[in-house]
Amino acid sequence: MITATDLHKEFNGGAVKALRGVSLTIKQGSFVAIIGASGSGKSTLMNVLSGLERADSGTVVACGQDLSAMTDKQLNEFRREYVGFVFQQYYLLPHLSVEKNVRLGADLAGNKNYLREIEAVGLADKLKAMPSALSGGEQQRVCIARALAKKPQILFLDEPTGALDESTGRSVLDYIAKLKAERGFTMVMVTHNRNIADMADSVVEMNSGKIIGVTDNPSPKSAYEIGW
Amino acid sequence: MVIGIKDGVKLFGISVVCFCAVFVCTFFLNYYIDAQAIDGAVSGELRVLYDANMTSAKFTCAITGGVLCLIAVVMTVFYIKLFIDGNAKRFGILKAMGYSDNKIALSFWVFGLSTLIGAAAGYGAGHAIMPLIYREMTIDGMPAIAINYHAELLAALVVAPTITFSAFACLYAKLSLRRNVVSMIKGGKAAAKSKRRPLDKQHSFLAEMCLSTLAGKKSVVFFVAFACFCYSAMLQMGLTMSDLSSVIMGVMILVIGVILGVTALFMAITTAINANKSSIAVMKAFGYSDKERALSLLVGYVPFALLGFAIGTVYQHVLMTVMVNVVFADVKTVATYSFGVGYFFITLGTFIALYACAMAVYAVRINRVPIKEIMSNE
Ligand SMILES: Nc1ncnc2c1ncn2[C@@H]1O[C@H](COP(=O)(O)OP(=O)(O)OP(=O)(O)O)[C@@H](O)[C@H]1O
Ligand SMILES: [Mg+2]
Repeated sequence: MITATDLHKEFNGGAVKALRGVSLTIKQGSFVAIIGASGSGKSTLMNVLSGLERADSGTVVACGQDLSAMTDKQLNEFRREYVGFVFQQYYLLPHLSVEKNVRLGADLAGNKNYLREIEAVGLADKLKAMPSALSGGEQQRVCIARALAKKPQILFLDEPTGALDESTGRSVLDYIAKLKAERGFTMVMVTHNRNIADMADSVVEMNSGKIIGVTDNPSPKSAYEIGW
Repeated sequence: MVIGIKDGVKLFGISVVCFCAVFVCTFFLNYYIDAQAIDGAVSGELRVLYDANMTSAKFTCAITGGVLCLIAVVMTVFYIKLFIDGNAKRFGILKAMGYSDNKIALSFWVFGLSTLIGAAAGYGAGHAIMPLIYREMTIDGMPAIAINYHAELLAALVVAPTITFSAFACLYAKLSLRRNVVSMIKGGKAAAKSKRRPLDKQHSFLAEMCLSTLAGKKSVVFFVAFACFCYSAMLQMGLTMSDLSSVIMGVMILVIGVILGVTALFMAITTAINANKSSIAVMKAFGYSDKERALSLLVGYVPFALLGFAIGTVYQHVLMTVMVNVVFADVKTVATYSFGVGYFFITLGTFIALYACAMAVYAVRINRVPIKEIMSNE
């Protein structure tokens, strides 16, 4: 479970108010989708919830730990222990091959079976490729495999299918959903595609740094049932 | 994990610099220690020759060894700093995944490895050339000076620098990792206090870009200037020394001066261009011409390169004057020194040619790299 209370976050000395009083509860093992206009604060919220960044005020309690009271070192350990992150900009390490990038995540969890994740995102034939030789969508899938291979208890995905076509997108989402059912992790996903939000247990809508609506979804759809 | 093979190739520069410094120090210090062993056995007329010889050894060692060590230390420290600063993004990504600062920082021991390789090779080469040096320094009628192995030199010239530089690299890495993760992965730069002056209308966009490039990369600017300083000082000093000392010494110092100077210049220019790779790629994508790109990004370093060169000239002149005309004034074996105008122009000419060549070669090489590769290698 993640509980965020009255989060505020400013940039540039207050010129940009990215979060303006966000409170949110995410149940253990649930799938929450975050939607909202560009610049509405979705990535910032994910960064704060995952312990990548600190809010200016407000608290975040995740997995029974109060992130707002942690030192940087403790936050680091928290991420290592619990968090997987699929970045909006992928952030692969340019000097490491696909396999090594994924292993980077797997090693932290002592996961020897990381080839499974690479296969599942359809990159088994690109093991030795360097990130610069991959298409945008392929890089995105490496990033997804890297996060999954870390076996996180909370998986944050920032626009994870933005660069994927419909069929690849569906199969990747389907695999993520399957792993989620298997391992029972909590999942928070930012998406611009409202159809994908239909897969979630609840949908949080943001606008200019605030949550303007939370809709529970009693019957989440599968990756092959949603529209695209 | 953190540092790839490609980076290792870049570290080669550090090895070269360390090699030069340790090489010179090894044979001179070794000679100095060994020669002292016969100190008691020398008397009478030979004593004068012996003392002169020792002074000469001290003199050469003090000037070249001292300058070389200084250069090696400054270059290595700066190179490590530039490397870590320039790769903040990588470390940010690892940090975001939860790798601990210590674990990331410890992988920087490889910087010590490149020091070790250079220093060990320099130590070996120093020993290899020792018979030649000892023969060169022999004085007729004096007891022969035997080449002895001194463990303390190995410790001081190889082990100590390796440990020191490894520790420095790890420590600096650890310090620079104490930053906001998000700012590291996003920008790769420390959250710079944006003290931007209001845009001066008189500057064109390109001039503005040039200024902000330089302002944003002050350490690269310093590195370029320092490398030019090294080249200028080492080369002129080497040329002068070949007049003042024995031929073999002069040639050796000259060769080392050239190796070191060229390496420094090469490292500086590579660093300058790498630091501007993504700007170059973006400007290329927007359709700026080669000339505009070169003007806005690379030419900005030229004044600083020339400044470094000028300081190097003055520095070596002052150093030589003080050493020769003051410190060793009453030693007859050391000739008098005056500023070598010819040497200055030789150095300046080769410097300009080298600098221009290296810039051109790298600009061409970068133009061939696909834009995407440049961006993703950021
Ligand atoms: N490091 C930063 N410095 C300054 N402003 C920032 C920074 N990070 C985010 N912002 C600003 O905060 C606001 C929210 O940014 P955020 O990245 O959270 O938006 P987003 O909802 O994820 O948008 P998108 O859908 O385009 O990814 C934006 O106005 C952005 O410009
Ligand atoms: Mg975003």
